[in-house]
Amino acid sequence: METVTVNELTPNDLPWRIEWDPCLCKLCGSCVAACTFQAIRVSVEARSYVYSQGDVPTPLEGERYAVPVIKQTATVQQHCVGCGMCEKTCPNRAIRPRRNEDSRWEIFAREGGSPIKRGGRANLNAGDRTFDKIVVGRISQMTDPSLDAERHTFDILAPFGRVLPADKMPLSVKDGKLSLNKPLPPVRWIYPLIFGDMSIGALSPRAWEAVCLAAACLNEKYNLPVRMCSGEGGMPMRLLKSKYLKYMILQIASGHFGWNRIVKAMPEMQEDPAGILIKIGQGAKPGDGGLLMAAKVAPHIQAIRGVPKSDLLSPPNHQGLYSIEESVQKMFLSMNAAFKFRVPVGIKTSATASSVSIYNNLLRDPYHIVGGYFIDGLYGGTGAANEISLDHTGHPIVSKVRDCYLAAVAQGRQGQIPLWGAGGVGMTGNAAADAFKLICLGANGVSVGKILLQLMGCIGNDHSRCNSCNTGLCPTGITTQDIKLVRRLDVDKAAQNIVDYVRAFDQELRKLMAPIGNSSLPVGRSDALVATDKAVAEQLKIPYAC
Amino acid sequence: MVLKIQSLVDNKRLSTQELLQAVYQGLEQGETEFEIAACGQHDIGGPLWSPKGRLVFKVTNPGQRLGSMCLDGTTIIVEGSTSADVGWLNAGGEIIVRGDGGDTAGHCAASGKIYIGGRGGTRTGSLMKHDPAYAPPELWILKNVGSFGFEFMGGGLAVVCGIDTPAGLTTLGDRACAGMVGGTVYFRGEPGGVSLATVKIEELDEQDKKFLTAGLPLFLQKIQREQLLPQLKDLAQWKKIVAKSYAEHAAAKSQSGALKDFHKNEWLQNMPGGIFGDIYADDGRVVTLVNHAADRLRIPEWKNYIYSAPCEAACPAGIPSQLRFALLRQNRIADAYKLVLEYTPFPGAVCGAVCPNPCMEACSRCRVDTPLNIKALGTFSADIPAPPLAAETGRKIAVVGAGVGGLTAAWVLRLRGHAVTVYEKDEQIGGKLFNAVSRERLDFTVLQKELERLRSIGIKFKTGTSVDKKLYQELKKDYDFVVLAIGAYQPKTPSWPGKEKILPSLDFLKKVNNGEKPKIGKRVVVIGCGNSGMDVVFGAMQSGAQEVTAIDVQQPSAFAVEIERAEALGAKLIWPAFTEAITDEGVKLNDGRVLPADTVIIAIGEVPIVEGLLDKPELTRGYLRTGEGRLFESNVYAVGDLTRLGLLVEAIGGGREAALRIQAALLGAEYVPPKMRVAQDKLALEYFSKEESPAAVCEPIKEALRCVSCGSCRDCQMCLKSCPENAITRVVLEAGDYKYVSEPKKCIGCGICAGVCPCGIWTLKDNPL
Repeated sequence: METVTVNELTPNDLPWRIEWDPCLCKLCGSCVAACTFQAIRVSVEARSYVYSQGDVPTPLEGERYAVPVIKQTATVQQHCVGCGMCEKTCPNRAIRPRRNEDSRWEIFAREGGSPIKRGGRANLNAGDRTFDKIVVGRISQMTDPSLDAERHTFDILAPFGRVLPADKMPLSVKDGKLSLNKPLPPVRWIYPLIFGDMSIGALSPRAWEAVCLAAACLNEKYNLPVRMCSGEGGMPMRLLKSKYLKYMILQIASGHFGWNRIVKAMPEMQEDPAGILIKIGQGAKPGDGGLLMAAKVAPHIQAIRGVPKSDLLSPPNHQGLYSIEESVQKMFLSMNAAFKFRVPVGIKTSATASSVSIYNNLLRDPYHIVGGYFIDGLYGGTGAANEISLDHTGHPIVSKVRDCYLAAVAQGRQGQIPLWGAGGVGMTGNAAADAFKLICLGANGVSVGKILLQLMGCIGNDHSRCNSCNTGLCPTGITTQDIKLVRRLDVDKAAQNIVDYVRAFDQELRKLMAPIGNSSLPVGRSDALVATDKAVAEQLKIPYAC
Repeated sequence: MVLKIQSLVDNKRLSTQELLQAVYQGLEQGETEFEIAACGQHDIGGPLWSPKGRLVFKVTNPGQRLGSMCLDGTTIIVEGSTSADVGWLNAGGEIIVRGDGGDTAGHCAASGKIYIGGRGGTRTGSLMKHDPAYAPPELWILKNVGSFGFEFMGGGLAVVCGIDTPAGLTTLGDRACAGMVGGTVYFRGEPGGVSLATVKIEELDEQDKKFLTAGLPLFLQKIQREQLLPQLKDLAQWKKIVAKSYAEHAAAKSQSGALKDFHKNEWLQNMPGGIFGDIYADDGRVVTLVNHAADRLRIPEWKNYIYSAPCEAACPAGIPSQLRFALLRQNRIADAYKLVLEYTPFPGAVCGAVCPNPCMEACSRCRVDTPLNIKALGTFSADIPAPPLAAETGRKIAVVGAGVGGLTAAWVLRLRGHAVTVYEKDEQIGGKLFNAVSRERLDFTVLQKELERLRSIGIKFKTGTSVDKKLYQELKKDYDFVVLAIGAYQPKTPSWPGKEKILPSLDFLKKVNNGEKPKIGKRVVVIGCGNSGMDVVFGAMQSGAQEVTAIDVQQPSAFAVEIERAEALGAKLIWPAFTEAITDEGVKLNDGRVLPADTVIIAIGEVPIVEGLLDKPELTRGYLRTGEGRLFESNVYAVGDLTRLGLLVEAIGGGREAALRIQAALLGAEYVPPKMRVAQDKLALEYFSKEESPAAVCEPIKEALRCVSCGSCRDCQMCLKSCPENAITRVVLEAGDYKYVSEPKKCIGCGICAGVCPCGIWTLKDNPL
C-alpha cells in the first residue's frame, strides 16, 4: 500500500516525462551524472509476485527483491525540461524525455506566489509565422536577366549609420573640385546579419567568445563583414583594447551595465567599435527591462557590471528619457559624442503598435545623428523573462518593418535611417529566407540571436523544450556561468558552426537575390514577393497568389 | 572553283535563310569554297560538310553565330570583325576572325579552333567544354576580353594575349571565370577581377610553355600579325587560370580547421588566454557530459549518523535506538543494552513499561509493517549494571527533587564524575514513577532494580529534606549548578460546589503504592480519563471499590491499552461529561445526570507548588517559566513537571538536557543540540519486506535485522557493490569501526550510492567548483 495524496506532484503533472527502460539500462550512472536539473535520480523499487505452479491455481511465493531504478524527480524546483542530455549520454538507448500532453505545469508552477520565469522565446503561436506565408514570387526568366547565385559576385552590404540624401550632402565646388564642408555622418556598410544583443552574463564566457570569434573569423577569413552586438552586459577589457573591436557594436541599455570599463578602455582602443546600439526594449519581453537571474551573476559578471550577486533587473526604460525627442537629443547626442562622432549610433525598441511614430520622429533627425532603427519583434529570444511577458506581449516584426518602411517612403526618406529587423528571424532554421523577405519589405538587414545558440549546441526549441537559460543550469554550457557546465562547450566547434551557417546563409541569400536579378540587397523590392494569405498580402501591400 | 554569294542583290538583302539556302545549293553542286559578302546574316558556316573534302568560307560582314556548330573539315575566315557568338557550339571547325570577336565568342565551343585577331566581348569563352573523345577546343584572342569571360568554363584552352588593352581595363575584364570548373585560360598582363573562389592563378609549367610556344606563331600567322611574336613569346609575362579541382572544392567546403586556426594563430596571439582570460578562470578543456573528480556536477558524501533516526528524534530523551540495533546486528549485545543508560536510568521502568513509546510511533518500519519493538528492548536493559563512572571532577551539583527528571539529571552528571546531591522532601526517591504510577502498569521489581542502580553510583541523597527559600539560596552558592525538579503536586480542581469532597489522585495513588489501602467507598467516580485517571481506576479497584466510573470532558487521552485494561477490570468510561457539582449523591453533571459516588477522585493534572521555594517566580499557566535551554537562573536549570506537565520520558529528556548543558558549561564547551531527523525520502524502505505479523515475543537480534537503521550506516555494502565506477571502498578504522569512502578520481557523481543506500547515508552535494 502506498500513501500518495492527490496534491502531491507526480511525473505525470510535469511537462516532460522520463521514459526509462529497465531492460536496456545497465545502471552506469551516466544519465543521472549528466542531468544538470537533477530531474532524475536513482531510487530503489521492490519487486514481488505470487505465481502458480501446476494445473490448478497453486499459489507459490516468487522471489522478492529490490532493484535500483532511475526515477523522475517531481518538484517545481527540480523537474525535467526535456533537454535530453540523458538520452544523449545513455550508451544503451534506455532513457529519454517525452513531452507530456497531460502536463499540469502551468497550474502549479507558480508555487510560492512567484510568476513563472524562463529563457528561450514565445511558445504560443510559434507555428504560425507570417514569414512562411510569403514567397519570392517574381522570378526573372525571359523578361529580364537573372543572376547565377553560385557563380556571380554580389554586393551584400547594408548601412549602419545616417545616410544623407544627395541634397543634404555638405558639398561645395571649389576650383572645379568637389569638397566636403564638414564631415559626413559615419556610415558603416556591413553584412545584413548582426549577431544580436546577447550579454556577457546571459551567455557563458565561452559562448560569448565563440560568437565573437565567429564574427571576427567571418570578417578576416571570409570577407563577410558581420558585426556582433555586445548586449547590455558590457565588454571584456581585452576585446575593447583589441583590433577586433571594429567588429563589435556596443550596446547601452537601461541598466547601463558595463560602460565604466568601456569608457576606461577608450584611451587604449586601437579601433573604433562598429557602432553603438541604444537599447530601449527587446522583442521577447517588451515593456520590461533586462533580467539576469542571480544564479548567473558570477564574480566576473559582478565585476564587469559593477554590482553584487543578486537578480539583476534593468529598468523598463532609460531613467532620464521621457520622450522620443529627448531620446534623440540626449541619448543619441551623448553616444555620438562618446566616440567623437566617428561611430554610428542606432536605437532598438521592441516592435510595438507605436513603432511607426517612433520611426517618423527619428526620421526628422535634424542633427544627422540617428544611425539606424532596430525593431525587435515577437519571437525574439531572451536569457530570462517572465513567461507572461514572453507569451503574451510583443508585436510581430514583419508588418512592423513594412509599416515603418512605407512611412519613410511616403516622405521620400527611405534609406536615410537604416531599418533593421529582428525577432524570430531563422526560427525555423532558414534565416536567409526570413532575412530576404524582410529586406524586400524594407529592412536593410536583420539581427539574429537564438539561432546562434542553437548552432553552438543549444537544444532548446519553441515548443517548450529546455528554455532554462534563466536557471544557470544550461546543459550545453551556453547560458551558464558554472565552469563545470561551461566546459561542455567546445568554443572552436561552436564558432565553426556559426561560421559555416553564415557562409551558407550568404550563399542562400544569393539564391534568392539572383532570381530576382539583384546583385545588391533588394531593399524594399516588395514586387519580388507574393503572399499566399490574403490578409498578409493586404497588410503588407504585396500581391496575393494562390 | 569558288562560289561567290552576294547577299545584297539589287539593293535587296537576302534573309539568313535565303543566304544559307544558296550555300546548301552550292554544296549540292559540289562546291567547297565560298566567298560570302554577307550583310549581317547569321549562322554562316555550319554545321556543313561535303564528300568532296574541306570546306572554306571567306566571309565579310557576318551576323551572329558565325561558325556555330561548325564541324571539323570547315575553315571560316573573316577579314573584319564578327558579331556575337562566333563559334557557338563549335564542334571542330577552324574559325579565323581577323578583327574583333563579339560577345560570347567561342560560347560552348567543345572542339576546333577559334582565332580572333582583336578583342573578345563580354562572356567570351563561357561554357567551353572538352569532350575527351576529341582534341580540346582552342580559343585564341589577340587583345583583351570583356567582363564575365570564361563563365562556367568546363574544358578547353583559351589564350588571351592582352595586346592593346585600353587604359583602365584588364586583360580578362571584371569577374572572369565565375563558375569555371575545367579547362585553362592563358593570359598575359593584369587579369582583373577573377573569381578566385572557384579558380586559381598559376605560373606556367613546361607543358603550358610548349603549348604556347608552338601555338603562338601559328595563331599570329592565322590572323596575319606575325610581327607581334617577339612581344608575346616572353612567357614570363604569361600566367594561367585553372579551376580548382573537385577535391579542392570539397576540401574547402568541409574545411573545419579554419576557425580553429584563426582562433589559435590570430585571436589568441592578440589576446593570450582569450577575451575573458583575465576575469574568468578557464583552462579551455572541453569535457564530456559525464566526468570524474573536480569536473563532476555533484559529489557524494558519506554522512553517517549526521542525522538522527525517527525513533531518536521522536524520543524526548533522544535515545538512539537505531544504534542499539546496530550493536545487536554486530552481536555486541551487552554494548547494545548498555548504550541506553547514557540517556536514561529507567530503560526498564519507563521505556519498557509506562512510556507510550513515541519512538515506536515514529519508527520508519511503520511504513513497511509494524514498528520495531523498542519497548521490549528497554526491559532488557533493566538488569544491566551502571556504566563505569568518569574520574571525579570535583564539581558539585545539587538536584532538588528525586522524580525522574531530577534523577536523570543526577544520573547523567554523576556518570561524568561530578559530585551530585539530590534533595528530596519525601523519604522515598522516584517521584511520581514511584508514587503515582499504578503497579498494574509498572512491575515494581523493575523499578526497584533501577532505583537501586541509581543509588549504586554514588549520588548523595538527602531524603526527607524540604528545600526552602533559604536552603535554595545556599545551594545556589555552594554548588556549581542546581537543577530544580520539584514536580507538580497541586491538583487542578475547578471551583465546583462540593469540591472539598474530592480526593486528589496523587495522594490516593501514593497511599495505594505504599500499600496503605486507602479507605474509599464502593462506588467511585474518577474525574479525568488520562493515564493518571486510569492509574486511579486501578488503585480504586485494588482498594476495594466495586463500581468505578471514569469521566472526562473529551475523548479519553489515556493509552488504548490502559483503557482496555481498565474496562476489562469492570470500569466504565463516560465522555463527554461535564461536572457541575459534587453532592452527597455523587457527581452531578450539567445535563442533569447524577453519577452516584461514595468517593470522588480527581485526576486532571497538577501544577507545581513553588511558594515555599521561590519568591514570586514567573509562571505560565502555573508552571515555571525558564529561559532558553531550561536555564532558570544564572546557575539553575529547571526540568520536569515543574516547567510543564508531561510524559515521564519528557521529564527524563529534560533532566538529560539540563545535565548536558551543565556538563558543557563546566567544560566551557558548546552544548550540542539533538541532531536533525533524517529525511524520510532518503530512506529506501523498498528493501524491507512486509512481515505477516509482528513477533509475539521480542527477539532482539531479529528486530535488529528489521531495523532500517535510518541515518546510520548498516554496513550492507549496497553502495560499494552498486557503484558503476568502483569508486567506493570500505575503510576499517580502529576498534572495529569503519567508514565508506568514494574516491574522487573514479566517482562521476551519479548518485547511485545515495539512491541505493537504505539508510540515507550517502548524500549528494553540488560540486562547489
